[in-house]
Amino acid sequence: MARYDVFINSLADLPEGKEVQLAIRDLSPGIHKYCYQDVLAMVSPDPEKYDEKMQVRYGRGQAHPQLFSIKIQENVERIPERWR
Amino acid sequence: MYKDNREFMKALEAAGELVTIDQEVDWDMEAGAIVRKVCEDKAPSPLMNKIKDYPGHRYLGAPLANYRKLAIAMGMDPDSSIPEIAAEYLERTNREPVKPVIVEKDQAPCKENIITGDDVDLFTLPAPMVHEGDGGRYLATWHFVVTKDPDKQEVNWGMYRQMVYNSKIMTGPLFPFSGGGQVFHGKYVPRGEAMPFATVIGPDPLGAIAGSAPTAIPEPEYTGQLLGKPVELVKCETVDLEVPANAEIIIEGYILPDVSIEEGPFGEYTGYRTSPRDTRTVYQVTAITHRNDPITTISNMGVPTDEGQLLRSFTLGLEMDRMLRNQGIPITGVYMLPESTHHLVVVGVKPLYTNIAAQIAQTVFGSSLGMWFHMVVVVDDKTDIYNFNEVLHALSTRCHPVNGIHVWQGVGTPLYPFLSAAERKKSVGPKVLFDCTFPLDWDPLSEVPRLVSFKTVYPQEIQDKVLANWEKYGFTK
Ligand SMILES: Cc1cc2nc3c(=O)[nH]c(=O)nc-3n(C[C@H](O)[C@H](O)[C@H](O)COP(=O)(O)O)c2cc1C
Repeated sequence: MARYDVFINSLADLPEGKEVQLAIRDLSPGIHKYCYQDVLAMVSPDPEKYDEKMQVRYGRGQAHPQLFSIKIQENVERIPERWR
Repeated sequence: MYKDNREFMKALEAAGELVTIDQEVDWDMEAGAIVRKVCEDKAPSPLMNKIKDYPGHRYLGAPLANYRKLAIAMGMDPDSSIPEIAAEYLERTNREPVKPVIVEKDQAPCKENIITGDDVDLFTLPAPMVHEGDGGRYLATWHFVVTKDPDKQEVNWGMYRQMVYNSKIMTGPLFPFSGGGQVFHGKYVPRGEAMPFATVIGPDPLGAIAGSAPTAIPEPEYTGQLLGKPVELVKCETVDLEVPANAEIIIEGYILPDVSIEEGPFGEYTGYRTSPRDTRTVYQVTAITHRNDPITTISNMGVPTDEGQLLRSFTLGLEMDRMLRNQGIPITGVYMLPESTHHLVVVGVKPLYTNIAAQIAQTVFGSSLGMWFHMVVVVDDKTDIYNFNEVLHALSTRCHPVNGIHVWQGVGTPLYPFLSAAERKKSVGPKVLFDCTFPLDWDPLSEVPRLVSFKTVYPQEIQDKVLANWEKYGFTK
């Protein structure tokens, strides 16, 4: 089971070995399931490379057949300062 | 008429249009799947009394997804025919708008629980995961968003979907061609200001109809017209707006002018997930207020028929009816088929002059309603626009494939499943007219084909005799 999932337009949105900014969803059970997190992360098509598994979905919701893995480096705040 | 959704539910139940589910239902797709099947089977609305993880919360699904429920919402006999419901709707909405009244907070059930500041967490509400593969949990699927024009102080209620992004943020498409979107993109964004909003979940059924209807009349007054009395509103806690006092749940906050965040994909009224995930409007939440044991309303967009398709077809068709009559075009009526996901409209007309069908099509496509549909079928005044068999027969036999089908390049929503990504970005909306009237210069006696039906080829006395003897012949009525 994946801990996170992410929506992408194409697999090119998930370059390996490069830090990327992603909006990922937390799939942990409970009331906060599907809550988004904006993160800088390393990702890999190898589901074992990083600690957490990640399901990849395309722009219209279809799931990619293989799980990826993800390592979150830091959280990102996307709401401009004056509205926080 | 009903003061709130709860009274409406009682009327649904009395008419056999409500099923109460007491066993626990999972908010994560199970509730959505129930509502989807209800829409596809035209079944009674499910009231789900026990939601996993959310004690004290309830769901009402598919509140208005068939014409019986619509008739009940209008306070009419559930078995009223579509033309009867349409006539009643037009009659009420042709009356004077009815201004709302403001009530005190202690008279407003939607204030029974008030959550503000750091305590606000959208995940304390049971936003359902409506379909597998959706971009998130949609709290607002049968609701409306209240906004106000900062200059004219005119209020708008619009049904614009909202996805829960995180505990304090919702995202959704607030298109610039919608009422709320025009004010946001036209006034707040250029000024760099945040626009106050209040989302009303579980409104009374006529308020929901008004929120999804294409009308130029401010929706609180339009609801008053439909209701026959003023709507009761109460002031919000954290924004300068008013909301229906008897609604189930209110989400207050500000729409941010200078940031967009991902939303979708979502199962849409066309029956597909068409609009790809994209960055869309950001709603930042400042307060949640709700009734005790609140009922979250769920509409499940997908293949026909859900309430979006039914009501949008109904109200778009009737606004076209009003507009064409105001233009003096001798129409007999307008009926938009919900099964077409409000893409196909049938207009009946007395063909008094040649090419009247093109005039009808250009009028409706050129109006502000024209974004939402692309097929106009014009039939003569003898065809029953509500009778699918008659309309299909007219289309298949009277529309000349070369002379009777006219195609335009117009404007459309990005939600059309058949558009390419490039067309969607440019709001391209191809339009087609099917003119199902015979040419007027054909001689009616010697050239126009004779329609061969029970109603048209037998003398009246033979028809009467056959009808009078029908059961005696051994047929059932
Ligand atoms: C269930 C449902 C969801 C809708 N979602 C949206 C939406 O997200 N954005 C939008 O612009 N219109 C949406 N619509 C259509 C609007 O509700 C409709 O155009 C309505 O007339 C809006 O009011 P307005 O004319 O004041 O903008 C939706 C309609 C329904 C029935």
